[in-house]
Amino acid sequence: MSEKIFKEAIEAILKGDTDKATDVAKRGLDEGLNPIELMDKGFIQGINQVGDLFETGRLFLPQLVYSAMAMEKATEIINAAIPEEKALVTGKVVVGTVEGDVHDIGKTIVVSLFKANGFEVLDIGRDVPVERFIDQAEKFGAHIIGSSTLLTTTMAMQKQLEQELKKAGLREKYKTIVGGAPVTQRWADRIGADAYAQDAGDGVKKVKLLLTA
Amino acid sequence: MGKILTRMGDGSRVEMTAAEIQQDLEAAAQDAAERANVPSLTDDEIKYLLDLYKCKDRVVGVEEGKECCLTYDNMTSKIKRAHIPISKIQQLLLFERGLGADTLELAHIDYSFKQCKHVVQYEKPNMEQAVLQTIAPIFYGSMPNLGLYSVPDGPVANPGDMLPLGKIEESKEAFEQMAEYAIKDMVYVGSELYEKAGADGINFDTTAAAGDAEFYAALKAAEILHDKYPDMGIEMGMSGEFILGLHSEIEYNGVRLAGLYPQDQVKLAEQAGVTIFGPAINIGTNESLPWNLARSIVFTKACSEAAEIPIHANLGMGVGGVPLTLTPPLDALSRASKAHVELCRLDGL
Amino acid sequence: MGGIRTAGDLVARLQLNRGMRIDAAKKYVAEKLGVSVLDLSDTVVMSEVREELDIGRVNETPAVAKGIDAKFRIAELLDLAINCVNMFKERVGIRAYQSFD
Repeated sequence: MSEKIFKEAIEAILKGDTDKATDVAKRGLDEGLNPIELMDKGFIQGINQVGDLFETGRLFLPQLVYSAMAMEKATEIINAAIPEEKALVTGKVVVGTVEGDVHDIGKTIVVSLFKANGFEVLDIGRDVPVERFIDQAEKFGAHIIGSSTLLTTTMAMQKQLEQELKKAGLREKYKTIVGGAPVTQRWADRIGADAYAQDAGDGVKKVKLLLTA
Repeated sequence: MGKILTRMGDGSRVEMTAAEIQQDLEAAAQDAAERANVPSLTDDEIKYLLDLYKCKDRVVGVEEGKECCLTYDNMTSKIKRAHIPISKIQQLLLFERGLGADTLELAHIDYSFKQCKHVVQYEKPNMEQAVLQTIAPIFYGSMPNLGLYSVPDGPVANPGDMLPLGKIEESKEAFEQMAEYAIKDMVYVGSELYEKAGADGINFDTTAAAGDAEFYAALKAAEILHDKYPDMGIEMGMSGEFILGLHSEIEYNGVRLAGLYPQDQVKLAEQAGVTIFGPAINIGTNESLPWNLARSIVFTKACSEAAEIPIHANLGMGVGGVPLTLTPPLDALSRASKAHVELCRLDGL
Repeated sequence: MGGIRTAGDLVARLQLNRGMRIDAAKKYVAEKLGVSVLDLSDTVVMSEVREELDIGRVNETPAVAKGIDAKFRIAELLDLAINCVNMFKERVGIRAYQSFD
C-alpha cells in the first residue's frame, strides 16, 4: 500500500499537480504512513527527479514552477503532521542578484527549485545593493544569503557582501552561498563565501549541507 | 608514468594519473551522449584525448592542413576592455594586420541589439570606414539579450517576476512579446549595417541565453534578414548546450525549441538562413578539463556531423572545455582547440 | 588560418557568404588562386601569391592594393559578390563587374 502512495506522490510532483499532491499527502497520513517516510520516499524522490529532468533539458521552467507549487503544498500538509522537534530540516534563504546586474533568469530558476525543496525563500530581486542583502536577511530571519552575478564586472559585489557582513559583525550569523555564470569554487574560496553552487540543482544540495553543518 | 598536470574547470592546477583521466573522459562522454541522445566517443577518440593530456608540451596545435578559420565575438571591445585607449577601426586593423584574424567584428561596447539600435547611426560610419580600410570579411555583432525587453529595462512585464507567482500563461505571453520586440531590433540593426554600411554579415552572439523565446527571436530575425538579403552572411553563436525552456512551448517551423541540443539547433539555424553556426558547451567548474573536453567534443561532434553549414564552435572563457577564467591558460585553450578541430571536423572556432 | 598573412580571410568569405564547409571552401579558394590546399595556410607562399595577385598582405608597400582596393580584386578572383565593394561601386557610379551582372 505504502509503495503505491509513494509512487503517486512522485507522479504528482512530476506532473506538477497540486490537487493530486494535496490528496496524496492527506491520504497517506490518513492511512497512517510515517510522514517523514512519505516525504522522503515519495515527494522528495519526485522533486529530485524534476531537478534531474530540468538539468538535462527534458523538463522546463513552467513545469518546474508547477512542481514547486505542488511540493510546497505537500510539504505544508506533511510538516503539520510532524511534531515540531522532528520537523523536516528547512531553512530561510534570501536570494538576489547583486547591484549593477539585472540578469535574473538564473536566480528565478534557483528560487523555484529552492521553494520546491521546502526552503523558505525571500527573493529580493535584481540589482540589489549589498546593504539591502543584509537588511533583508535581518528582517527575514534568514539562515543563508545567496547572491548571484552573471557579469565578471559585478562579481566584486559578492566580495563586498562578505566584507560588509564582517564589518557589521554579522558574518557568523549567516551562511553565504554564491553563484552565477563567472563564479567558481575558487572565487568562493577567495572571498570567503561558505559555499558555491554551479547551478540551481547544485544550490539545493549545497544549501542542505549548509543547513545541517 | 607519473602524474599528469592538468586543470579543473575553474582553472586550478590538478595532478591526475592517466587512469583517472581516462575514467573522466569515458564518464563525461557517456554522460553527454545520454543527455543529447547522440553517439559517445570511440576508443580511438578517448585514446587521442588521453594522449593529448599525456603530452607535456605547453602549447599544442592542429596538424598541418587542418587549420581552420576563426570568428570572434565582440572584437572591438576586447582591447578596449584592457583599458587601452584605441578606436574601433584601430582595433580591427590590429586584429587583421597584427594578429592574423580571419574575420573581423565591429561591435558596440554595450553588446546587445537593443542598445545598438540607439547608436546605429553612429555605428554605420564606423562600418563604412572599416570596410574601406580592412580586407578580411567583417561582421556586425551583438547579442539578442531578450532580458532587456522586460521591466525594468524594457516595456514588457518581467516573466521572472511572474513565474514564481505561478502566473505561467502571463509569463509565456510576456516572452512572446519580448521576442517580437527583439526581432524588430535585430532586423533593423542588421539591415542598417548590411544594406547601408557594407558589412559582410551579422553575428547573433550568445543566442538563447534567455531561453527558447530568445532562440526563436534570433531564428526569426535570421530568416527575415536572409529573405531580404540572400547573400548576407549570418553567424549564430549559442550560449549553452541545450535550449532552456523558459517559455517551454514556443516553436520554430513546427519544432519545439525547449530542450534542443546542438545537433538539432543547427538544423533550425540552417532553415533560417544562418551560414555559420557556433555551438556552445558550458564548462563544469568542479570537474577536470579532461572531463569537460570529452563532454564538449561529444555534443560538438554530433552537431558538426548533422550540419551542412560551417561550424565554428565557441571556445573561450568557460565554454568548449576552456576554464572559466578571464585569462584562459594556453595549455588548456590549445588542447581544447586542437581536439575540437581534429575530432569534430570543425570549420572554425 | 592566419587571415591576410595566409588565405584565411578568403576561405572565411566562402564560409560566411556561401555557407561552404572548410574542405570545400579551401578547395574553391586554392583552385581560384592556382595553389595547393596546403599552400593556403603557408605564410611564405601566400605572401608571394597575395603580392602577385595584389589582393593585400600584411607588409604593404606603396602603390599596392589596400583595404577596399584589395577587396575589388578578391571579389573578381573568387567570383564572389562582396557587399562593400558593390556598395562602393554604386556610390561612385561604377558599373558592376561582369561576373556579378
